[in-house]
Amino acid sequence: MNTVTKRAYVLLAIIIAFIGGLVFLAVSFFTQGGTWATHRVNGHLYSQGEIKNAGRILDRNGVILAQSKNGERVYNSDKNIRKATLHAVGDTYGYIATGAHTLCRDKLTGYSFVDGIYTLINTGSGSDVNLTIDAKLCANAYRYLDSRKGTVGIYNYKTGEIVCMVSTPTYDPKNKPEDIETNDKYEAVYMNRLLNGVFTPGSTFKTVTTVAALENIPDINSCTFECTGAHATAQGGQIICNNTHGKISFGTAFTKSCNSAYAQMGIGMGADVMTATVNSMGFGKSFSVSGVNTAKSRFDLKGAVDIDIGWASIGQYTTLVNPLHMLMIMGCAASDGSTPIPYFVSDSLYDVVGSVRTERLLQQTTASQLKTMMRNNVINNYGDSRFPDMQFCGKTGTAQVADEASHAWFTGFSADDSFPYAIVVVVENGGGGSEVAVPIASKIMKDLKNAL
Amino acid sequence: MSDKTQKKKKVKHPFNWLSMLMLTTIFQLISMMPVVFLTEEPNVEVVSVFGGFILVQWLYFICARNFASQRATELEIIAFALSGIGLVTVASVKPEYALKQFIAILIGLAAFIVLVAIMRNVEVISALRIPVAIGAVGLLAVNLVMAETVNGALNWINLGAFSIQPSEIVKIAFIFVGAATLEKLQSARSLTRYLIFSLGCVGALFLMRDFGTALIFFATFVVIAFMRSGDIKTIGLICTGAILGAGLIIYFKPYVASRFAAYRHVWELANEGGFQQTRVLSYSASGGLFGLGIGEGRLRHIFASTTDLIFGILCEEWGLIVGFCVVLCFAFVAVYALRIARHARSTVYSIAAVAAAAMILVQLALNVFGVTDLLPLTGVTLPFVSRGGTSMICSWALFAFIKSADIKTYPKLEKQMEE
Repeated sequence: MNTVTKRAYVLLAIIIAFIGGLVFLAVSFFTQGGTWATHRVNGHLYSQGEIKNAGRILDRNGVILAQSKNGERVYNSDKNIRKATLHAVGDTYGYIATGAHTLCRDKLTGYSFVDGIYTLINTGSGSDVNLTIDAKLCANAYRYLDSRKGTVGIYNYKTGEIVCMVSTPTYDPKNKPEDIETNDKYEAVYMNRLLNGVFTPGSTFKTVTTVAALENIPDINSCTFECTGAHATAQGGQIICNNTHGKISFGTAFTKSCNSAYAQMGIGMGADVMTATVNSMGFGKSFSVSGVNTAKSRFDLKGAVDIDIGWASIGQYTTLVNPLHMLMIMGCAASDGSTPIPYFVSDSLYDVVGSVRTERLLQQTTASQLKTMMRNNVINNYGDSRFPDMQFCGKTGTAQVADEASHAWFTGFSADDSFPYAIVVVVENGGGGSEVAVPIASKIMKDLKNAL
Repeated sequence: MSDKTQKKKKVKHPFNWLSMLMLTTIFQLISMMPVVFLTEEPNVEVVSVFGGFILVQWLYFICARNFASQRATELEIIAFALSGIGLVTVASVKPEYALKQFIAILIGLAAFIVLVAIMRNVEVISALRIPVAIGAVGLLAVNLVMAETVNGALNWINLGAFSIQPSEIVKIAFIFVGAATLEKLQSARSLTRYLIFSLGCVGALFLMRDFGTALIFFATFVVIAFMRSGDIKTIGLICTGAILGAGLIIYFKPYVASRFAAYRHVWELANEGGFQQTRVLSYSASGGLFGLGIGEGRLRHIFASTTDLIFGILCEEWGLIVGFCVVLCFAFVAVYALRIARHARSTVYSIAAVAAAAMILVQLALNVFGVTDLLPLTGVTLPFVSRGGTSMICSWALFAFIKSADIKTYPKLEKQMEE
């Protein structure tokens, strides 16, 4: 009798295990409830996979980019704004993973652990989400891209706020084209090219090689290089230059964008040194931009011979750069070698916005030397009149890609303390950087200056 | 000495049944309001069912207190409270369910009273042991022959207007037979016989592909076997054998495993194997702590919402607090059963109470943790709350095992023993 009643404690073990499971379940609700409640399966928020009831999405000036009216999602009335901000705002079906509609589901639906989505059910709307982008500026950038594929990104390198983020091709979320899956015009349309694209960088990569040279070649400023219109490597093969520069100094090589000189620098440093420095600048890394993990830039010299290293040093070979990463390098060059990580949701749930900085991507002295060289580049090549009153620093790139027209690049920043903006422009298969990318950058930077 | 008697007096009345009953009734009335006024014109049938339920509840307690001298009625309060929550939820989803559910509660209550009466006498239990065992196995055999497949499990017998789930009734027999042993029968032989009986039940359930119920039976078997023999080695052996057996079944019959393919991957398979779990999680979280309000939820439109997924409806519409409180009620009952089992007048009652409580908890765990993807989804009901007649009857009967282990249930017997 006594032993049997003692054995009754087996029940206690079951009770304890059960309570343990309940506690685990409660904790799961607390930590993951937001993800669960805002998931696409929730019929309160989604109808046939489309989000219906949610808070407003606003740009930095309070312009409404998306809101819910009578159970329908309504976008801005301006078609260009709708198209230009598509990748920041996102679509209601969640095809665009980088958009606020997906990133800020918790907030848009007003979810909280205590009330669930009660507020949304009763008021028909959750909380507003404020973006840092300027919708009008984005619409201008979209017009300047003129239906070519590419991206324009501008951010404040002191605060990290992204004020312009346009990716093309895009579409009007109000009238989604029916041939979007089949028409080549809409190739990778759901991808935000600024955050998730990677492109052959061409000569804009010379900013990176310059940093490597400054940090690894002791007497680089007194070095001269020989350009015969090409640079032949010891094992054979040659890297073609845009001109025959003859004997050329380090500084001039940057301004003239001399391929021969830069190939020699890269080959001289060797694969290991180049790779180490380039990786320290954030290549091979992903950054969290308002919760979006950016595409990693790529620099890979495994098994590369001299000719490959030469090409890689001028931004060809297998080198690929994510435009936002390039933008961050500009931000580093403009300041002391590090930058706040860019963001576009002002009240991000993911980061303490603006306060998250990268580690130092460039040494401080390197940053200031690169800045001077890029400043000279603008004065000598594009002219200060393109970027009036901005003390602009920049570098173009014309990246050769197989069988198609080159990608046109421009990247740079204003060195003016009162106008701390950096820009990156990429036009896919657009042609020459100076002819195609610089005019876009010039116009949009002027627009930004006027808007402030 | 006088100090001791005072203490005893305090222990005798730790629980004021009248105030608890009033509170329960107030809660029930509040929860019934939105259901009644959900439609423009109150549904007469639903209103009368609700009224009838509250009436029966009060009648039971008045009779139990005054004519049957029942001093401890905690179990019944909990049973009525849970049944009430289930009735209101079920009626709120479909008014047509209300009457059937009410009838199920009435039959359940009757089963409870009858079983408590039968359990009064160890001799009666002993005499009934063999017939009940044979009846249970027979019922399962009949089930296997003539059952209809419902949702992949072969565990329903259709009797025209009513369909019954024999496995639920066999649950009652399983504990009855398992507990019905006298001290002298605590031998290896009696355990072997019980083992054969259990194997028969679990095997039949496996053939019916009702894996959830099979698991409930197995867990209960382990508890009973431990209570009877205290032999951890043998039980370890049995468990190992069962795990190996289950492994073999999965190896030779891959479709068994494929039924649980979505387990811990429900979000990737949100529109396939994880359909029900993802909806339960999403809608439960939507409700927050206080719920969206009865009738305001959307989980109700999902298949099996009032049976297997009813925990999700509670969380979404009544709030996580109510959902968790319902579940905690059962944990309380289990603790209560443990206390009673420690002081039961015979091992029969100890075993019955512990086994019943264990069975309820295991089933509850399979239900609540199954729909929330902490355990594989096996499709078992939430006792008292889920819609379904046989499930309701079984729930009440299991409570009867706990109730009958308490000597206070039989005042005359208690007096005799004291003398």
